[in-house]
Amino acid sequence: MLADLGRPLAGRLLALVPVLFGITLLVFVLNAVALGDPARAAMGQRADPEALERMRREYALDRPLPVQYVTWIGRVLRGDLGQSFREQRPVTEVIFERLPATVRLAVAATVISIVLGVAVGALAAVRPGGALDHVLMGAAVLGISTPVFWLGMMLSLVFAVNLGWLPVSGYGGGDLRYLVLPAFALGALHTGTVARMTRSSLLEVVRQDYMQTARAKGLSEPIVLAKHAFRNALIPIVTVIGIGLADLLVGAPLTETVFAWPGVGRLLVAAVGQRDLPVVMGAVMVFALVYVLGNLAVDLAYLVIDPRTRRGAS
Amino acid sequence: MIRIVAAVVMAALAAASIVFAQAPRQGGTLRAVFNSDPPTLDPAAASDTTSSAVIRQVFDGLLELDEKLTPVSALAERWTVSGDQRTYTFTLRRGVKFHNGRELKAADVKYSFERAAKGKRPWVFEKITGAREYIKGTGAEIPGIRVVDDVTVELRLDKPFAPFLHLMAYDAASVVPREEVERRGGNFASQPVGTGAFRFVSWRRDDQVALERFRDHFRGAPLLERVVFRIIPAEITRFNEYRAGQLDFTDIPTGHCQAAKTDPQLQGEVAIWPTLGTHGVRFNVEKAPFNDVRVRKAVAHAIDPSIIVDRLLEGCVLAARGILPPSLPGYAAGVKRLPLDRELAKRLLAEAGFAGGRGLPAIAYNFNTADANQRIAEVLQSQLKEIGLTVELRRLDWAAHIKLVDDGNVSFFRQGWIADYPDPENFLTVLFHSRNVGAAGNTSRYRNPRLDRLFDEADTLAPSAARYARYAEAEQTILDDAVWISLYHYTSRALIKPTVKGLERTALSSAPEFLSPLRKVWLEK
Repeated sequence: MLADLGRPLAGRLLALVPVLFGITLLVFVLNAVALGDPARAAMGQRADPEALERMRREYALDRPLPVQYVTWIGRVLRGDLGQSFREQRPVTEVIFERLPATVRLAVAATVISIVLGVAVGALAAVRPGGALDHVLMGAAVLGISTPVFWLGMMLSLVFAVNLGWLPVSGYGGGDLRYLVLPAFALGALHTGTVARMTRSSLLEVVRQDYMQTARAKGLSEPIVLAKHAFRNALIPIVTVIGIGLADLLVGAPLTETVFAWPGVGRLLVAAVGQRDLPVVMGAVMVFALVYVLGNLAVDLAYLVIDPRTRRGAS
Repeated sequence: MIRIVAAVVMAALAAASIVFAQAPRQGGTLRAVFNSDPPTLDPAAASDTTSSAVIRQVFDGLLELDEKLTPVSALAERWTVSGDQRTYTFTLRRGVKFHNGRELKAADVKYSFERAAKGKRPWVFEKITGAREYIKGTGAEIPGIRVVDDVTVELRLDKPFAPFLHLMAYDAASVVPREEVERRGGNFASQPVGTGAFRFVSWRRDDQVALERFRDHFRGAPLLERVVFRIIPAEITRFNEYRAGQLDFTDIPTGHCQAAKTDPQLQGEVAIWPTLGTHGVRFNVEKAPFNDVRVRKAVAHAIDPSIIVDRLLEGCVLAARGILPPSLPGYAAGVKRLPLDRELAKRLLAEAGFAGGRGLPAIAYNFNTADANQRIAEVLQSQLKEIGLTVELRRLDWAAHIKLVDDGNVSFFRQGWIADYPDPENFLTVLFHSRNVGAAGNTSRYRNPRLDRLFDEADTLAPSAARYARYAEAEQTILDDAVWISLYHYTSRALIKPTVKGLERTALSSAPEFLSPLRKVWLEK
């Protein structure tokens, strides 16, 4: 089976290159169009003209834009993302010291959304149209439509400030208690989507003829559901999980800001404000890479779940 | 009589405070907070108050400011100024140790100043003879900085400069150990070594900076065992952390000032005090229609800042009469802004040929993104409508705003100013001297030879009524010429736990960073 996956995998990975290239070009052009000068932004309110000139020279901002871009790409190909204007340190250092925090948060939010989402969706599907179904799906819609920033603030107010069960914010040096609230805040939207998709997908499958066949063969209901219904219902659910990665990436900067979580999302927001282009480019590359690789994982999951897609791909 | 009563009351209070005052307690961790990660902890590379807040604890300068903002001895035990006000001779304390154990020498001062002169705040050193050439890269050293012997350093200026001692108390002029800078290279900015009362322990980016007391500090070990600066970007989160008891002080979130003052739990912890800043509206006097003083004056006469001060900002800031804040030495109470007078405003517009605003295109008002700035802009828009002026609001983030302002591409814009050191020179000369047109501070692009002369004269005079009189004259001229319209003076709005003692609230320290010396702070049990 692994051999089957080899070729489609290589193809997908190759397709990544132009995508990443396009993203960097887009970010670079957007930054060039946006007003603002990183040297000026780094100087505070009072800028000495000579110090400004020196910084522009140091940052190579005095060179034409295409030259700046080509130089940057050249360095990236050698594995060097350049120096942060604001921190005067290598961008890789700046990003990699924050990446573990973002990965922890994203993984926790994804696990919450899958476990909680599938459970809620399955429960709701037991008796479609029943009271439980209405309550759970109502909650799912609420999860989808609540802004991350607001939800984060509410969670923190209730569970941290008023009840005192969990810390208000911060990383706590990796203490798991600090992870709970941000992970739920970030995972909420996605939990709702997964729950709704699980419910509708299960209901769809249950109506299929092969389910009747399975029951007619005398299989017990739990086995029918687990083996026949669930596996077939998985494909749309996995799709939603893949698409949901985008929501996580959008939500990460906000969640990290509300919970003072030291991740890449917050770094990106601050870097845009400072016109710290090397950091912006680096952080966007990381996000793009996560998104593209996440979708690649989803594609691979299809290949595993549904043998038909394997034939189609080769 | 009143004086005698006051004296008796004061004496009684003093006696009471002696009886009830607790002895300062040793130990404990002060939990402070920043709203952003400091870009650097290197005094030469810093240009923001967050970085300065850490730098001031880890490093010392030759001098520092006391609670009255007067320069007093720090690394320099004493100093003398020559008769021509151009030579400053500093005698260092003996036995001052860096955190690495090495003793401070006068050569460290020269090294540190020359290094910082090539950093982000070269203006701190540019008055020293030969500094301009050195900063430009044409000199090998700053000849005006002379190491006389191990404990004596002499600084020679091109011309007298009255606030020079303030510059020596500024954190850009901190003293660093050469060997550590050279050994650590770029890492010195993330692992600083100084002589300060607190030594650097750790810095987890976007999370926290930790310091611990330096037992060998030349003033003796500070009272606090540790200081932790949490980095929390959202003001509401800082507020929640404070309420959950996880921070010892923080800022009051925008729009919560009155609520905090009346909250039964918080009101005893609210501290509001004036700082050295002014929120202003400026014109680019080179751009039409504001190259016509009558149009500028019309706008000035049409603006009523009281609505902004009382309603928008809940009365938690100070209404401004002039440009200099009242807490700044040299503040002149007699200086007055152009008063609200809409009839006069309309007449001035008519005289300029724009009766009722006819013939004038919509005026763009530029400001940087912030809740309060947006609401202030809306008030200005509606007030100027009353004299027939149409104002379009242009909101941009800070980096874009400052770029347009510096380059002279906007004509009517918001710009605040907060003094780096407590002297009118750092306000008026920076903002209105013709040599500072552009990014250096004079974004109005205002050129007035009479003002330049006043400023230059004031630089050479010792602090005195005569010196301050020159600034008062200049300030009134600027207001009468309607180059800058003051709206209000900044205040610092903080919540401080009653257990925190000795935290100075000077006009230079503002929440949440508090630029005050934490060696004086202690925590009550």
